Amino acid sequence: MTARMTGTDNSGLSLRFAGVSKSYGRAVALHPTDLEIEAGEFLTLLGPSGSGKTTLLNLIAGYLAPDAGRLLIGDRDVTNLPARQRNIGMVFQNYALFPHMTVAENVAYGLMVRRRPKTEINSRVAAALALVELGGYGDRAIQQLSGGQQQRVALARALVIEPDVLLMDEPLGALDRQLRRNVQLELRRLHEERRRTTLYVTHDQEEALILSDRVAVMRAGRIEQLGPVADLYNNPINSFVASFIGESNLLPARLIARHEASVQVEVAALRQTLTLPLPAVSSASQSADVPLLLLVRPEHLLLDESGPLTVRVEEVVYLGELTALRLRLESGADLWLRRLTDRKITRGMDLRVNWQAAHLRLLPQT
Amino acid sequence: MSQMAGLPTPWRWSATISANLVVAFLVLPILAVIPTSFNQASFISLPPTAWSWRWYVSFFADPEWRASLWVSLQVAALATVAAIALGLPAALGLQRAAPGLRPVLTGLFLAPMIVPVIVSAVSIYRTALDVGLNGTRIGMALSHAALALPFVIINIGVSLRNVDQRWLQAASGLGATPWTVFRTVTLPNILPGLVGGGVFAFVTSFDEVVIAVFMAGYGAKTLPVKIWESIRLEFTPVVAVAATFMILLAAVAFVLARAIEAGRKKAKNTKEDKMDLGVAA
Repeated sequence: MTARMTGTDNSGLSLRFAGVSKSYGRAVALHPTDLEIEAGEFLTLLGPSGSGKTTLLNLIAGYLAPDAGRLLIGDRDVTNLPARQRNIGMVFQNYALFPHMTVAENVAYGLMVRRRPKTEINSRVAAALALVELGGYGDRAIQQLSGGQQQRVALARALVIEPDVLLMDEPLGALDRQLRRNVQLELRRLHEERRRTTLYVTHDQEEALILSDRVAVMRAGRIEQLGPVADLYNNPINSFVASFIGESNLLPARLIARHEASVQVEVAALRQTLTLPLPAVSSASQSADVPLLLLVRPEHLLLDESGPLTVRVEEVVYLGELTALRLRLESGADLWLRRLTDRKITRGMDLRVNWQAAHLRLLPQT
Repeated sequence: MSQMAGLPTPWRWSATISANLVVAFLVLPILAVIPTSFNQASFISLPPTAWSWRWYVSFFADPEWRASLWVSLQVAALATVAAIALGLPAALGLQRAAPGLRPVLTGLFLAPMIVPVIVSAVSIYRTALDVGLNGTRIGMALSHAALALPFVIINIGVSLRNVDQRWLQAASGLGATPWTVFRTVTLPNILPGLVGGGVFAFVTSFDEVVIAVFMAGYGAKTLPVKIWESIRLEFTPVVAVAATFMILLAAVAFVLARAIEAGRKKAKNTKEDKMDLGVAA
């Protein structure tokens, strides 16, 4: 334990959930969940509020006890350990800084309770504050710091104890947009320097994309899909994941025929029957009689004179380098298309649209 | 005050006047005691015909008066310690009680405020007889602590509500034992409530007379009991002197509590002032 705490280039330990679950009375906060996070990995839990992200985090931190299952940090079973013995750093949503202590006293807290020598505490606190670019702020009162500065104090306080795992619960929720972006990049930099095992909770998909090695999309107390960001974006397993990560057009589809390496679907909105190669078909949509949706990302729709689809431009939304077009199909359905901005397209124009079959996905509606 | 600012002027005036009338009604009869204690005449009268310190001299010349003041101070101090020792855990426990149980328990703990004092006095007196605590300072202090307990619990309870549960979680996550969390996070943040509750407890005990009359005996005659006896036997202005001391002590206690609170705030502010300079520099 002491060796670990005085170490400087500790990248943290792996984290393993085995069948962990938690309920409050009849309300299930977390269904039995298996989850493995590698040492040094940055994993984000992404999901709407009430999806169980914070419950999962609190179970790891030890603020909640699971109803069932085991929780391992490295090869240590911590299921029954109190929070104080887990050596986990936590950054709370509203920082939870101690209001009666200075910045330095806040950061020193974890070392103080570990009874480290005073000189060591001072140098490590100074180093931690320098790491989050708050050198020289040690004597200030918490109330005098801006939200962004408080956020960094909270981070320094969590990091200074050299935690095996770093947990962050929507730590940027209270910051304005510009600041969020800066802190996101800062967190990215810190993680790349130290590669500390990090579990990050957010409901902001953009944040998840910027920060994470892998993302777990959660809903209603379950992990819907877990994987690298690009996987989740390109191969979502269902319409929930598809709509939670990135923009999407989801069109109702009906399965007509199933072949060796492809399926045939009828898409009423497009007035088309499409043949999709099997990799484009989410495994979940091959099984039961669930309603199916065809996923077309807005950037995968192309303006093409020879395209099969005639559309009318209903709305032009200028997004800077991109422009989003809302297109009305002949069937009356709407599609969003995104492309690099050029000013030639205006509302009311009739255009033709095309796509590549490889970019389409067939998903179960959930 | 700020709420009154929105009212039309005549209303504001009448509100101010009636508020002042209420204050006068409450405070003047109490303050009237003070001039009578300086009266030279050997009976209590208002206004005094001639001013003198003679009753203060006789107060301190009389060993019984001196002893009763000393007993009162001892009992009040002891009662304060006991009320805090019991009230602090009670307040902490109430906060953690199951939501369904909390109102019931709170009601129980606050009962001494609602039960008529004479009822408490009789039952405490009867019980104290069995354990031989009548006429002892400890017995008196414990009875007063029971009476003061609700004030301590309420005061600490209010300041506990300002203690964010996540501070405690953060502290334990950083490795602190429950006791360390309490000592380093909870306690500093409930200190104003603790001091306030302590002052209430002290004053409650210091001017309590009903239980004191039952419990005093010969060994624990407090100042209010002595005043009560004197009024029945002699009715000299020494009683007014004693009353003046009581008013003074209550006032000092509250001012002290306020000063401690203000001192804490000021300490915080100077820290902040320093910071403002730091930002500017």
